[in-house]
Amino acid sequence: MNCAAIELELDDYLDGRLDAVRRQAIGEHLQQCAACRERHVQSQNLLAALRTLPAPEAPRNLLERAMARFAPMQARPARVVPRWALGGALAATLALGVALGVFLTGEQAKPPIATVALQLERPETVRLRVRTPRDLQATTITLTLPENVELVGYAGRRTLTWQADLREGANLLRLPLVAHGTPRGELVAQLSQGQASKAVRVKIVLKSTGGVS
Amino acid sequence: MSLVSLFRRSRGTAGRFEELLRPHVEYLYRLAWRFTASEADAEDLVQDLLLKLYPRTAELAAVELLRPWLARVLYRQYVDTVRQQGRRPPLEPVLGEDDPLEEIPSEAEEPDAHAERMALRARLLDALRRLNAEQRAVVALHDIEGYTLEELEKMLETPIGTLKSRLHRSRAALREALAMEPSAASQRVKE
Repeated sequence: MNCAAIELELDDYLDGRLDAVRRQAIGEHLQQCAACRERHVQSQNLLAALRTLPAPEAPRNLLERAMARFAPMQARPARVVPRWALGGALAATLALGVALGVFLTGEQAKPPIATVALQLERPETVRLRVRTPRDLQATTITLTLPENVELVGYAGRRTLTWQADLREGANLLRLPLVAHGTPRGELVAQLSQGQASKAVRVKIVLKSTGGVS
Repeated sequence: MSLVSLFRRSRGTAGRFEELLRPHVEYLYRLAWRFTASEADAEDLVQDLLLKLYPRTAELAAVELLRPWLARVLYRQYVDTVRQQGRRPPLEPVLGEDDPLEEIPSEAEEPDAHAERMALRARLLDALRRLNAEQRAVVALHDIEGYTLEELEKMLETPIGTLKSRLHRSRAALREALAMEPSAASQRVKE
């Protein structure tokens, strides 16, 4: 029996997918061929290792946190704060980074840090990663949305304000956005503490061919 | 429609959604972690999925076997997310993220054996991260979660031949990673 010819069949043999005749033939070959036998043993080891690979438990309140994003603000005043994922999280979809080296005093006009393309009527999570050099307690965040763009769950709200504690390092602000028409204006996230503040501007456009700019 | 009736309708949908999804959240997160090998990415993936499913609560209620249906939409969401990222390597080590593989050795286990097992798992996880999205998903669903190829053919809407090919390439890459220390690997399972 040709080793190369049975290479694919060894997977079927491992998975118990062969009929009795082929199973016996492969089994006999494995008795005689040290190379194929070694490969088969390695495959068994691999499966054993994969099946005992532990997975972490889901974060507590994962469902509740997701549902807080659906609920109208009037219905759940205690849950209006979008989730801040603390630590060095890896943004998965549309990640925009900004470093808050120090808060600037007073509002300063800054160009958008990025352009995000949304598909019409399709919710998309924009993640704004904010780095701070130290813990910043009770930071006020004011989000201003462009016309025709909505934060999912907050229909009709162009401006939202809430407070959050920022921790030293990376903080992730998730903004589930949906465009109901051509966006007009920019998304502005302003972070303030006392008299100091910093604004992050993101240009929102409609996706034309499925690409994300 | 009054604000009160809107509120009631919203709570009703939310309650139904929660009732439908709660039994599956742990499973979805575990599967998402197996796809992404990152806790932060897994959480993002599940959050995004829930966000997209919420408007489809009535459709969810009509699904007979919800778990495999959810696994399929999670897979689609995962592949879409990877594609949106411009096919950059979808998984990168995330500094500061807890390593779910870290374990306290059991009293019955020798420290050397524990260290070797941890090293093996680290190599395996690293090798999984190097697979592409489709390969990692088929390994997660078939080799780890135990779905059959026939089930995956329907779930992923992918021919069995394609699935077998992905599995074959994935296993070859993973075997190679584990064989970095062949003396350890080859002794583990006896014929």
